[in-house]
Amino acid sequence: MNSVKRYLSVFFKQTPGVLFFSVFIFFSILLKDTFLSIYTLTNIARQVSIDVPIVMGQAIVLIAGGIDISVGSVMAMSAVIVISTQQYGMIPSIVFALLFGVCIGLINGFLVTKAKIVPFIATLGTMSIVRGLVLVTTDQRSIMGTIPRFEILGNGNFWIIPGPFIIAMVLLFILHQFLKKTKKGRNLYALGGDPENAFLSGIPIGRTKFTPYIICSLLASVSGILLASRINSANPQLGMDTALASIAAAIIGGASLLGGRGSVIGAVLGISVLGMLSTGMNLLGLVTYYQIAVKSALFVVVVVIDAIIVSKGISKRRK
Amino acid sequence: MKLSNSKREHSVLRWLGLLRMQVALILFITLIVIGSVLSDVFLTPNNLLNILWAVSVLGIVALGQCILIIACRFDMSVAYSVGLCGIITVVVQNHGVSLFPSVIIGLLSGLLIGSVNGLICVRTKANPFLVTLGTGIFMYATSLAITKSQTVYTPIADFKLLGRAKLFGTVQYSILIFLGLAIILEIVLRYTKFGRGLFVIGLNEKVGTLSGFSTSRISMAAFVICGFTAAIGSLIITSRNGSTVANVGMGMEFDSIIAVVLGGTSLFGGSGGAIRTVVGVLTLGVLNNLMVLMNIPTENQQIAKGTIFLLIVWLDSLLRNKK
Repeated sequence: MNSVKRYLSVFFKQTPGVLFFSVFIFFSILLKDTFLSIYTLTNIARQVSIDVPIVMGQAIVLIAGGIDISVGSVMAMSAVIVISTQQYGMIPSIVFALLFGVCIGLINGFLVTKAKIVPFIATLGTMSIVRGLVLVTTDQRSIMGTIPRFEILGNGNFWIIPGPFIIAMVLLFILHQFLKKTKKGRNLYALGGDPENAFLSGIPIGRTKFTPYIICSLLASVSGILLASRINSANPQLGMDTALASIAAAIIGGASLLGGRGSVIGAVLGISVLGMLSTGMNLLGLVTYYQIAVKSALFVVVVVIDAIIVSKGISKRRK
Repeated sequence: MKLSNSKREHSVLRWLGLLRMQVALILFITLIVIGSVLSDVFLTPNNLLNILWAVSVLGIVALGQCILIIACRFDMSVAYSVGLCGIITVVVQNHGVSLFPSVIIGLLSGLLIGSVNGLICVRTKANPFLVTLGTGIFMYATSLAITKSQTVYTPIADFKLLGRAKLFGTVQYSILIFLGLAIILEIVLRYTKFGRGLFVIGLNEKVGTLSGFSTSRISMAAFVICGFTAAIGSLIITSRNGSTVANVGMGMEFDSIIAVVLGGTSLFGGSGGAIRTVVGVLTLGVLNNLMVLMNIPTENQQIAKGTIFLLIVWLDSLLRNKK
């Protein structure tokens, strides 16, 4: 049992890359031409790139020892805002959506750091409120965009590279540099790994805890904008399973619910694995509900493996 | 000077604590007064019984949730086990199983769901909130796969009596089941070793283990109870509609948690009770009824409920940290 656990933990530290390539090779062999075509691959890249900001946000919150369940609702509401405020012009509508993301981030951060509510309960509350806002503003119907130019963001191509892919890569570069090279970024790891030590080494706990929530909600808004731009519309059902997918992707990418571990590159590989899985299952002709079953089972497995590794890590630390 | 300050703060805290514990009762009475002023039909016995009837399913689910929350755990899968248990019952009925065996199969599937949730959480010490979020969606997918996303109808007419029939022609059985269950669980919580154990491990697991409670056995039992109450709720809602769909309980996971918290059970564990939960559920029911009577779109409710939820949890954390 112990060796199994050690094996699991070693595997999970290297996993993102290994898993990415094994899933890629698996579907390449299984589906051959249908999977390995430029069309399918760019499609996956586009789809995944839209989710990339949200997953990186979730990873950053997890690294700092928190969790954000509200990302899906924030994404949906940002999509709704960016579509429904198009009469003010394209740029203002995008600014409105981003501002909304920052607001929810501030509320989440306030609830967690100042009101001292457990992160998943606090964000559960904001999730419900924001979903309510989505339902009220859309009146439970789909809404259509009026500016065709807006589609470029999510649907445009740069040669054969999808537009969202470029945006995602730029964000990835910035956030990776932030986490690895800046003092503020390193502080997040310190805080997530051991809050008491972080406090004793002079890290401003309140501020450091606060920022990830703002970053995460802002990135959720970016995802929402990209999504809305891709279909140039928004509907109240958007982002229903995003919270689960983003948490699963971040954990596959090496983050842990205990905090202090993970990276945005891993998280991006994690969401790519999930993206390839769903496209692969689509190409295999699997009915939607089996796909949902596979994804939710994967989520539970990932959470459980993380818990096993964590409990092993704690017992090791005590020894 | 300092002394009087801390004294004043102490009394403020005491008042806040009192307010927190009775928040559901205060809201409940206020809503009833508002309702009786605004609408003539509100304060009629018929309408009040209707409210009770409407909330009884949520109430039964919330009672199970309450047991878990006292032990500082959550079950986010209740919404979908309310769908799945009913679907299993109706599907076996459609395959020729008669009334009582099918009901027992439905209840057993609830027990099974609860034990699976409990096993995963207890054995691996994984976060119950996330695990049950995942198993819930898995059950939703299972329900969709069984029913092929269609509504399934019960072939047995007598099955509909469970949710619709009235004792002595006045009170529906589902109300009686709800209130009966609340009383039983209240007694279990107050007067049995298991009940005390729930409170202790909700406050502090280590203290629970050191004082001789088996943490894993108690939390396992709590999960099973929660699965079982969800199954009862599922059977009642299915029999009431005469049919069921996979998403019949959608939103119940959050509503049940709100009802429990509203009633005075702290999300931080270690306090609360079943009767308190009944008051919380009734408050939600009255709120819903009033909004319908006043023609306020139901989507607004979610915003109101979420806000109330966050405010109460905030108050809880404030009180906890000051102690």
